[in-house]
Amino acid sequence: MKIRGLFTKKNYLRYISHLDLIRLFHRSFNRSQIPIKYSEGFNPHPKFSISNPLSLGIESEGEYIDIELIRDIPIDEFITRMNETLPEDIQIIKAIEINNSDSISSIIEWAFYELKFTLINKVDIDDLKKEIEDWVDRDSIIITKLKKKGKNKVPKEVNIIPLIGNVVVKGKDKNGFLVINTLLKTGENGNLKPMEFIEAMNRDLSLSLDLDSIMIKRLALYAEKDDTLYSPL
Amino acid sequence: MINQLKLDRVLKRVEKPARYIGMEQNSIKKDLNNMSVKFAFSFPDVYEVGMSHLGMHILYNLINNDKNYACERVFAPWIDMEEEMRKEGIPLFSLENKEEVSNFDFLGFTLQYEMSYTNILNILDLSNIPFKAKERDENYPLIIAGGPCAYNPEPLADFFDIFVIGEGEEVTLELIKLYEKHKSGNYNKEVYLKEAAQIQGIYVPCFYDVSYNDDGTIKEMFPLVDDVPRIINKRMVKDLDTMFTPEKMIVPFIDTVHDRITMEIFRGCTHGCRFCQAGIIYRPIREKSHDRLMEIAEKLVDSTGYETISLSSLSSCDYSSLLLLTKNLIEKFEERKVGVSLPSLRLDSFSIDVLKEIEKVRKSGLTFAPEAGSQRLRDVINKGVSEGDLINAVSYAFKEGWSRIKLYFMIGLPTETDEDVLGIKELSYLVKDLFFNRPKEERIGNFKVTASASCFVPKPFTPFQWVGQDTIDEFMRKIYLVKDSIRDNKVSFNYHDADLSYLEAIFARGDRRLSKVLIRAWEKGCKYDGWSEHFKFEFWLEALEESNIDGAFYANRFREIDEVLPWDFINPGVSKSYLAKEYNKSLKGDTTKDCRLGCRACGIQDCSMWGVFN
Repeated sequence: MKIRGLFTKKNYLRYISHLDLIRLFHRSFNRSQIPIKYSEGFNPHPKFSISNPLSLGIESEGEYIDIELIRDIPIDEFITRMNETLPEDIQIIKAIEINNSDSISSIIEWAFYELKFTLINKVDIDDLKKEIEDWVDRDSIIITKLKKKGKNKVPKEVNIIPLIGNVVVKGKDKNGFLVINTLLKTGENGNLKPMEFIEAMNRDLSLSLDLDSIMIKRLALYAEKDDTLYSPL
Repeated sequence: MINQLKLDRVLKRVEKPARYIGMEQNSIKKDLNNMSVKFAFSFPDVYEVGMSHLGMHILYNLINNDKNYACERVFAPWIDMEEEMRKEGIPLFSLENKEEVSNFDFLGFTLQYEMSYTNILNILDLSNIPFKAKERDENYPLIIAGGPCAYNPEPLADFFDIFVIGEGEEVTLELIKLYEKHKSGNYNKEVYLKEAAQIQGIYVPCFYDVSYNDDGTIKEMFPLVDDVPRIINKRMVKDLDTMFTPEKMIVPFIDTVHDRITMEIFRGCTHGCRFCQAGIIYRPIREKSHDRLMEIAEKLVDSTGYETISLSSLSSCDYSSLLLLTKNLIEKFEERKVGVSLPSLRLDSFSIDVLKEIEKVRKSGLTFAPEAGSQRLRDVINKGVSEGDLINAVSYAFKEGWSRIKLYFMIGLPTETDEDVLGIKELSYLVKDLFFNRPKEERIGNFKVTASASCFVPKPFTPFQWVGQDTIDEFMRKIYLVKDSIRDNKVSFNYHDADLSYLEAIFARGDRRLSKVLIRAWEKGCKYDGWSEHFKFEFWLEALEESNIDGAFYANRFREIDEVLPWDFINPGVSKSYLAKEYNKSLKGDTTKDCRLGCRACGIQDCSMWGVFN
């Protein structure tokens, strides 16, 4: 049986890395005694995968995990047993049985983020909205990414316009943080990290952004088919 | 609680922020307002090291087991975090409630190695707690310490209110209960300390003073008040099966040094290696029963989800039903894919049989510790292994498919000659020949032998406690003697820093006059001395000189057998005369057999070996 789960990663647990998260799930499977399938071979490891690693420090409302089990168990029971052993800030909110074999990481194309930060200089929100809209209407925004080339990393110039789906300036929240929602490309067919987006915006628009104040939350991950986004669960 | 907005800001800037967040599986967060006693437990090193320490897991669960007490963890922040905390004005805090350390009733340190001492001062400083015990009134936590280095507490005597000598399972609760009683009345620190000093195993350094002879040696240690013991007897738990044993361990989010279940199978050791402090201070040998261990193992596997159980002790192959235990553990947890590992191996085929059982699939490297290169020197240190044992064990290992061997040695052992030192090379080459002398078709894997040498540090409560350490120059001469003699890419030689070992020797056998050196070194910026990238030897040399302390007096000087040693007021159960007898035997190269083969009358009470043979 294959199960796809949607889970959260919140509060301080945004500070644990992707590898830490894999270890955490492995041990939670062990504790809950969910009948997970192991790979064959000399060093058997449990068969599950978590898609599109989150960078350290980013919260999420919806991450995907695919798990293979050696026997069927009811989905409700799976969710209950896992959530009993998972930490409060990492909880499975939904799960389904899946039958197709496409891996979760191969189908995710877009990530929807909430970006929050404060600005050191006072700015008018309407002006800022206009400025950002004009910015993403440009033909190209070039950033320098470090690409792996063998053992070394070499700088490479990339136009990020095709990697930006949309940008919505939501305004200021009650704590005075500017809130922006944005859809960015993620996965094997192009990837733009939210920090790269923020840095480019700060560079081009001279926002005088307080870098220490940045809070990023991934709200959702989407697959794409015929120019339409959909949730893989 | 510290300012969480500030914490959020710094966590974004530091490496591995998960070191500072707590919240791990099996960590315990209580409402501190409802606690009668709040205890902060500190391992004075970085999170990944401290979390690998079994003693912390035991005491953490022991204290939290009482609904009125809370125990929370405090580690040394890494260099980057410390810098950010100082910049933002964040005081050091516990991981569970993010509570300021200075708001706890106790701050307890475990003293595992001398080179963590500057980190203790740094932790006090980050907690805004004065270093010296006499500068702290009732408004500060009681600063206490235990662990192996507490057996010579004197270099730290100025800083601590209380030292706990011996095993902590019982005495920690006695100290806390007594404090709870005092706190509910009109709490006075001195009154509490006086009563605490009556508990067996408790040493309160402010109640004693030391006088010195003209040559700098100790004349006498004497109590300053009535009714405190002249001799501090260590604490020891009699029955390990009924002793408090945690059924949970905190499971860290990040990778730590020992990220697995550590299951203690026995305490004590019967080998009597003469350089080994643990072998003396943890006497007598006490085992946990097979059935009790099976029970604990299941609870630990259930509560942690770990995939490995490490069988921990000073010499795990000595456990009397080791084969049965490993077989049963493997069988019981096979379906759950939980494996078993052994931290140390004896040089015999039995050990390798056990290893074969537990490492059915992967043949990783094997490590042996002959400790000395020649038979003569191994007899001096009473390391009861012969070249024949090594040949048998290694040949057997090669036959079973292992191909990488590590050999551990010490340089600078008493009576050592250049010939002994070169024995390190000889043994390493012997291992290589044993591999390549096998028929080509039977050679499995990619052969490599690695010899590692550390510099011998004489320790209190060992037969070598009177011995002068080699000078740094002599260490380096001997190291290069070996290094230059090895010319083979299948044989590699590593060595430890002699500078660090020199400082360890000073503090391991130091006295009260050394606390000013520690403060001076800390002021110069010494911390994380055990981490080579942060070890600043020149600062230490300056600190010694500016404090008018001659390091050689502590490290390199040979002491007279009748000299008053700084740790003489502590009684580990093994008598000083036994240690002296062993020292004299060592000089003649006479060995002392394992106490399982007959009692050697070391002086320890309640020893099962004693019962068997007398």
